[in-house]
Amino acid sequence: MPLELHEETANLVGVVTVDEVEQLVGWLRTAKRPRVALRRCNHLHTGALQALLLFRPKISSAPADAFLAAQVLPLLAGGGGPAKPGSESP
Amino acid sequence: MTSDTATGARVLVVDDAATVRLYHTTLLGGAGFAVNEAANGLEAVEAALGTDFDLFVVDVNMPKMNGYACVEALRSDTVGSDAPVVMISTEDRPGDADRAYQAGANLYLVKPVAGDRLVRVATMLTAGKDDVA
Amino acid sequence: MNPLLAQFLAEANDLLAQVDEGLLQLERDPGDPELVNEVFRAAHTFKGSSGLFDFPELTRLTHAAEDLLDAVRGGRLALDSGMTDDLLASFDLIRGWLAHVTTHERLPSGAGSDAAGLITRLRAPLGGEAAPSAPSAAGPAVLVDTAPDWLAYLDAEWLTETAGWLSTTGSTLRFLWYTPDTDCFFRAEDPLHLIRQLPALDRLSVVQPGTWPAVQEYDEYTCMLSFLVVTRASLGELNHLFRYVTDQIEIVELDADAITRHLSGEPPLRAEEVMTVAVTPVIDTEMAADARSVLHAAHRALTMDGVVTEGTRIRSVRHAVAAAARSLGVPVDLGAAGPAELLTAIDLLAGEAAPAPVAIAPVPAAPPRAEERVESRADDPGGQVGTRVLKVDQEKVDRLMELVGELNVAKNGLTFLAASAEEEFGSRALSRRIKDQYAGLHRIAEELQSAVMDVRMLPLSVAFSRFPRLVRDLSRRLGKNIELVTEGGDTMADKDVIEALGDPLVHLVRNSLDHGIETPDERSLRGKSHTARLTLTAVADGDAVIVEVSDDGRGVDPDRVKHKAYEKGLISEEELETLSDVDAVDLVFRPGFSTADQVSDLSGRGVGMDAVRASVEKLGGAVTMRSKLGQGTSTRLRLPLSMAVTQVMVVSVAGQRFGIPVDLVVETVKVPAGGMGRVLHQDVVMMRGEVVPVIDLARALDMPWSLPETADRPILVVSVNGQRVGLLVEQFHREVDVILKPMEGLLAYADEFSGTALLGDGLVLLVLNMKEVLGLAARVA
Repeated sequence: MPLELHEETANLVGVVTVDEVEQLVGWLRTAKRPRVALRRCNHLHTGALQALLLFRPKISSAPADAFLAAQVLPLLAGGGGPAKPGSESP
Repeated sequence: MTSDTATGARVLVVDDAATVRLYHTTLLGGAGFAVNEAANGLEAVEAALGTDFDLFVVDVNMPKMNGYACVEALRSDTVGSDAPVVMISTEDRPGDADRAYQAGANLYLVKPVAGDRLVRVATMLTAGKDDVA
Repeated sequence: MNPLLAQFLAEANDLLAQVDEGLLQLERDPGDPELVNEVFRAAHTFKGSSGLFDFPELTRLTHAAEDLLDAVRGGRLALDSGMTDDLLASFDLIRGWLAHVTTHERLPSGAGSDAAGLITRLRAPLGGEAAPSAPSAAGPAVLVDTAPDWLAYLDAEWLTETAGWLSTTGSTLRFLWYTPDTDCFFRAEDPLHLIRQLPALDRLSVVQPGTWPAVQEYDEYTCMLSFLVVTRASLGELNHLFRYVTDQIEIVELDADAITRHLSGEPPLRAEEVMTVAVTPVIDTEMAADARSVLHAAHRALTMDGVVTEGTRIRSVRHAVAAAARSLGVPVDLGAAGPAELLTAIDLLAGEAAPAPVAIAPVPAAPPRAEERVESRADDPGGQVGTRVLKVDQEKVDRLMELVGELNVAKNGLTFLAASAEEEFGSRALSRRIKDQYAGLHRIAEELQSAVMDVRMLPLSVAFSRFPRLVRDLSRRLGKNIELVTEGGDTMADKDVIEALGDPLVHLVRNSLDHGIETPDERSLRGKSHTARLTLTAVADGDAVIVEVSDDGRGVDPDRVKHKAYEKGLISEEELETLSDVDAVDLVFRPGFSTADQVSDLSGRGVGMDAVRASVEKLGGAVTMRSKLGQGTSTRLRLPLSMAVTQVMVVSVAGQRFGIPVDLVVETVKVPAGGMGRVLHQDVVMMRGEVVPVIDLARALDMPWSLPETADRPILVVSVNGQRVGLLVEQFHREVDVILKPMEGLLAYADEFSGTALLGDGLVLLVLNMKEVLGLAARVA
């Protein structure tokens, strides 16, 4: 099971596919202070990444996977990267 | 004076190369400007004597009267135009832009100017042109 | 074709002619500054206009030519014939490219390599350095000069570092912009998965939406992210990997220069700045960049040395600054602001528009040399003078002419109608009224026709224009000194005549250069001036135009010609004795004759003077040659001013109709079967005491047909080369005006026909080339 969801913590394990996205988003919507562990995660579906970028949970452990660690983790941990110009003021 | 939106503003395109002229007039005409053309500086000055233009788009290197001389003439007492002048040149050499400003140009662009940029600049420079004395 | 490209091709044509002519004149008169300037200007305009299209090789080549000419113009280089050769070759190459562009709307695939050698040669006299304003010009074609605006999603620091590395190593990077479709998750696409498979990934930037939807409204299945990927992977790898999402990606290859330009042009959009910039639509970012340029220009215009800051100038600066302010969303009231107030406002606005590197970049002072050059340009003389001439596409005029032809055909249909009104319906009155109508229509059609033909008239100078170049090139190759003189270039003739004149004239001129004109040594031995003279003359003569090619060369030796003709079996021993000098010279037009002892590679390429005569006669013209041994040769072509409309007599043989040009027809007779005679296997007929040979047209054309033994013989008497010949036909028809069209397709090589014409009843009429038909008949007999 790629998602191990607890009250305030989640463990992402192996390959998180598009099928897990809905469940992940549901958990992010309800959790008060969500913390996500990525250590055992090998790949995040784009939809999951997008959800993490929107809800910005605290990342409790860095992924072991090289690509995720080098390219994705900085987005989740830091400022989140650039944004597209929107059409309206926030 | 013409209306104070881009649409209807009167532009004079001055270039000796018929292709470039067609390119600029098509772009500006398509964006709602009323465009006149002149094939050299002399023609431009003649045109400016008869019409109040809201913007000039002037090539630098032209026969008869080059772009610099043309802009100087436009700014002279004889013509007396204070409308913005955009000079467009194929050259990007140091000093050329200053020469253009010295003559009285307000912007110096290097060819080929992307179509949307020319329209954008023209729109910017002609919008609300009646506000300033 | 898009109108802009069409305009460019038309302009290019004029420019090429201008360059060619200018260069040739320049070689004769190297010091003429006006000429240099004229050629420079043409090359310059060429370069400028070519930049509007995706023709990088064309721009590069014209740029190299322009730089060379600029150096000549500035007195830094003296134009020599080697440079002229290179320049001419460059513009020849361009001419070929443009022909390709005309049909394919792009340059030929080998353009880059074809141009490379020439560019090197053109740049060699300048020390071989590349043009300063085109630093990336020599790069591979896939390189993009301007960075796309999405490059702003990469942080400037990293870009600066990368540009430095790329510049040091002379390498490039591939930048991929990937905007997945919003519903891509439903198609089982996972953009991030795609990206992680990319080898040699250098940088990934995930671009989030400027505004996230509210948490309650968030749809987890809508993809809102975009990706900017920088990689060292090859284009091939990229294309393969992203082959299923090609419509969602954009790939550019950038070098250090492109990145540097990007960095100095638009403000980098760093992660920390996201919050402020995210609310600004893209168009506004570009607008802000333009506004900054305007502000920068205004700043410069107010602070430069020796600049005038009053009157129209300061007012225009006020306009510009106010406009820039408005577009930045911070309108300012500048009232009657003076230079100082304006500068303050500009500084303020510049802060508003985020610091733009352009505005603070020091502008190097103009070197004095550049200033001088600018000065010298201020009183530019000359250039081409615009004329109030309407340029019309040749095809449109041709179409007009075709319509005139069709009108003529329709008009001719009325005569059929008149005939049938009388014959079939027995109404003479109706027939007459139709004929009246016909007369009125005929007059209008004739006027229309002459008006259109007038439009088609071109000066002979068009046909002459290629010769200065040709004579120059050939005379250099042959080591002969030749002065070319053209006279009567303003004589007008139909464009078809002018076009058709081209090949015969080239042949005659080559012939003259090759065989007629002596080497300088030979000329001085004979007491002639070193430089030979070749004259092209055109004069109008009634409805014909006479074009003469004459030289003061060695002339034609009638005796040598006669002996040669005899050796080749072209004339009999008797003719060898009796032939006059004039007739002897005419022998050079006989098929299979060549005056030179050795066939030269210039004019001896399988076409001789016989080909010239044949093609001129095909146009309804004539060629004659006069020559004085030791003094020169003159060849005269006489052509109809217009060949658009021809009157033909229609006859039929074996049920098929043919046309014969009316000016050849002497009379039509019907001879009783018994009235025919036979002399030496040749049918003849006696006419007013003259024996006229009669040719069976059907037999000559190899058509199976024969008249009943007893029937009267319809014979059309024609005059060809001053000789009367009767043509046995099946039936005579009327004379009609037709527009002759050249033979096309399979029949193009059928010399017995000079063209086709459309008849009033829709049939296609083949018009006979009588000379060839007589030749055929002689062979059949």
